[in-house]
Amino acid sequence: MAEDVVELSGVWKVFGARAAETIEAARGNGLSKAEALDKYQTVIGVRDASFSVARGEIFCIMGLSGSGKSTLVRHVNRLIEPSAGTIKVLGQDVGAMGPKELRQMRATHIGMVFQHMALMPHRSVRENVAYPLEIRKIPKSKRWAISDHTLSLVDLTGYEDRLPRELSGGMQQRVGIARALASDPEILLMDEPFSALDPLIRLQLQDQFKALVRDLDKSTLFITHDLDEAIRIGHRIAIMKDGVIVQIGTPEEIVTKPADDYVREFVQGISRLKLVQAHTIMEPLESLNGTSARGATRVSGDSDLDSLIDVAIDSDKPLIVTEGGNDVGVITKTTLLRGIQGGR
Amino acid sequence: MNIQEGTKPADDAPTVSAVRDIEVDRAELNRSIAEFVDRNPDYYARAFHTIHDTTTGIPRVFNLAAAVFGPLWAAARGVWGFFWGFLILEIIAWVQIGRGTWGELGADSIAQAERQTARAQQFLDQAQAARDAGEDPSRFETLGNNLMRAAERSREAADAAAGDAFMILMSGLVLLVVLRLVQGVWSNIVYEKQYTSWRVAPESVSSGLKIQNVVFGLALVLVIMPLTVYRFTVENVAEWLTEFPANPDHYADTARWLEGAIDSAAKSGSGAFDGIVLAVRQILDTISLALIGTPWPVVMAVICVFAWRAAGPRVAIFTAAALAYIALLGYWEIAMETVALVGAAVVLCVVIGIPLGIWFGKSERAHKIAEPVLDLMQTLPAFVYLIPIIAFFGTGNPPGILATIIFGMPPVIRLTALGMRGVPDSIKEAATAFGASRRQLLKDVELPLALPSIMTGVNQTILMCLSMVVIISLIGGGGLGKVILEALQFAAKGPGLLGGFAILFVAMVIDRIVQGAFRRADQK
Repeated sequence: MAEDVVELSGVWKVFGARAAETIEAARGNGLSKAEALDKYQTVIGVRDASFSVARGEIFCIMGLSGSGKSTLVRHVNRLIEPSAGTIKVLGQDVGAMGPKELRQMRATHIGMVFQHMALMPHRSVRENVAYPLEIRKIPKSKRWAISDHTLSLVDLTGYEDRLPRELSGGMQQRVGIARALASDPEILLMDEPFSALDPLIRLQLQDQFKALVRDLDKSTLFITHDLDEAIRIGHRIAIMKDGVIVQIGTPEEIVTKPADDYVREFVQGISRLKLVQAHTIMEPLESLNGTSARGATRVSGDSDLDSLIDVAIDSDKPLIVTEGGNDVGVITKTTLLRGIQGGR
Repeated sequence: MNIQEGTKPADDAPTVSAVRDIEVDRAELNRSIAEFVDRNPDYYARAFHTIHDTTTGIPRVFNLAAAVFGPLWAAARGVWGFFWGFLILEIIAWVQIGRGTWGELGADSIAQAERQTARAQQFLDQAQAARDAGEDPSRFETLGNNLMRAAERSREAADAAAGDAFMILMSGLVLLVVLRLVQGVWSNIVYEKQYTSWRVAPESVSSGLKIQNVVFGLALVLVIMPLTVYRFTVENVAEWLTEFPANPDHYADTARWLEGAIDSAAKSGSGAFDGIVLAVRQILDTISLALIGTPWPVVMAVICVFAWRAAGPRVAIFTAAALAYIALLGYWEIAMETVALVGAAVVLCVVIGIPLGIWFGKSERAHKIAEPVLDLMQTLPAFVYLIPIIAFFGTGNPPGILATIIFGMPPVIRLTALGMRGVPDSIKEAATAFGASRRQLLKDVELPLALPSIMTGVNQTILMCLSMVVIISLIGGGGLGKVILEALQFAAKGPGLLGGFAILFVAMVIDRIVQGAFRRADQK
């Protein structure tokens, strides 16, 4: 297991004057959101959230509007103060930092991308990207060189001297990403970065972003309200509802073993073809019942349903699943079709 | 996927397939109307239905209660606009009725007739006495008969006026009846409108029949109606009704006390006030020295070139012409003094106003406290605060600048605060997320984004300060204002107009240059 770069344990955020009382009551007897508003005039934004992000991982937090995901992510760089709980970034307790340390941490270790880009309209693209470096008092020549390089990473070479409003929405968000990357931070916080873009641009940016993060070895906390996006991008996904993290797991776990009805409803429409792997749907070898496995095609345990279909079309025989050179299971056409359906 | 979901029949509600099949749900409407009107729900439900069903012309509804009780009905139902409108109209009708009934319309003519008869009788008595004494009575007889005829005419006039009284009484009665009929017809329509707005905001719109409304309405009618009718119909009105019983001693005492308070405050704070005057004078002197001390060709050339660079060749040509006018008529130094006055006021407004505006933009509480003060500074007529300024700061140019600042500073404060509040939170959050400190946030994000608004504020302030230039000459301010004030005092038309044009040109040149400069800055 890789080292954790971001660690949240037992984080609460309650808005209102009587936050402490609310947390006390909610810990004890599971006070609901409506009851908290009624009894203490407080709004529970985040309820007892704990998770960690490993180095190099893309960790998605998925939830609908008002589920507290944007509030939660702002705790990592302490744009919002937690009501309870601890947050550690690169092993350091964020809550214990003084204002100077905090600014230092924000400027060097964390880059953030916002849903509405939040570029400075009066500065050129280059100056926007260079702003985090300007805060750190890096000389102008160096700043410009770094921002030109970062802009080239997001394919925006040639637009350095334009103003943000002269660029399209997708390009503006690439500027936002370049700005987040400019100070070469270990951690990226992405607050619904692609939600405001149209679907084609969104797909392009998702792929571009995924490749970029892999190449640069960044750890990412990615907020989205779109489960498709979470599954495309995330190594792991946390699903949030009403401030509570309902389930944390890999995309395949979320789709195949939803924790409750809420998650199940979400994953209903998700295509399983690229997610579910052979070893999830395979049946034990014994179920062959002596039918000849000779001439059967062998597939590896981690091949997805999509590739299994390709193989199954070419052969009449059941598919034998191998892992580490040994036969471990079998997939008949029935199993495969049921697997695509979702294991009924 | 649940296949049944799509074809599930709706069994609880009747199927409505077209708009024409939709039936009006009267029961639900009636319940709501009943809740609104409280008393007489059946009547008002029927009336409102009629109003709802009427598509053209006036709905055929008549509210007997409104026709009988008039404005009192409106008060009881809380239709206050209706109440006030018809109360005033009914007062007119009642005044007419009162004048017609007990107004003693020919009273003055009758009194005159009586006086004339008395004099005539006197003359006739004298004529009788003369006849008895054997003298010629004809002179007295002629006088007496003439007066008798005059008295007759007066009596006729009085009779005619009394005859008019009947007409006036009738017109009042007719007006009253018409008003009541209008109220009877109109009341339900207005009340239905009130019902509609009550549905939107039940807590702020009056509903039902409230006893306190009846009492309040009755009290208003009883106070307003008899007093007004009495005032307009009776000949000799009691004095307490026409004159407010003011006590002149209160006025004198308060004025004396205020004078003492200001004097002692001026005396105790004289050090501070003198310091302020001195500081303002320093700024003014520096600007004056630059404008007047520098040779005039240099200043003129600089102004023209600046106009060209800032606002283009057309403004530059206009500036040159305006400067030529000022200089040729010998106003150069005086005009430059005016510019220095405005300049010093603007500099002070900007230096004090922008930081205040930033503060008010950031702190909601400070803004709430400052808002009424700023309102006061702008609404208070300049003549009012000139007096305390004289008391505290004396007369001359520096106090004039202080008066100008009071009037000119609010726009730059307001617009700076507005600009600060208009900076999008998302951009501020982004800068904070990248580690910006509060100072960096202000310098790199808030001020640049608020700049267009701040510049508009500065422009407004410059124009406001210019408009004060004439007024401050009242407390000894110099410059072109003084020229105009002197012309005004001697009703000197020629010098007044020439000076007026000079001040107009100064204002136009400054305005054109500033606007041009700001427009170019905006385009950047």
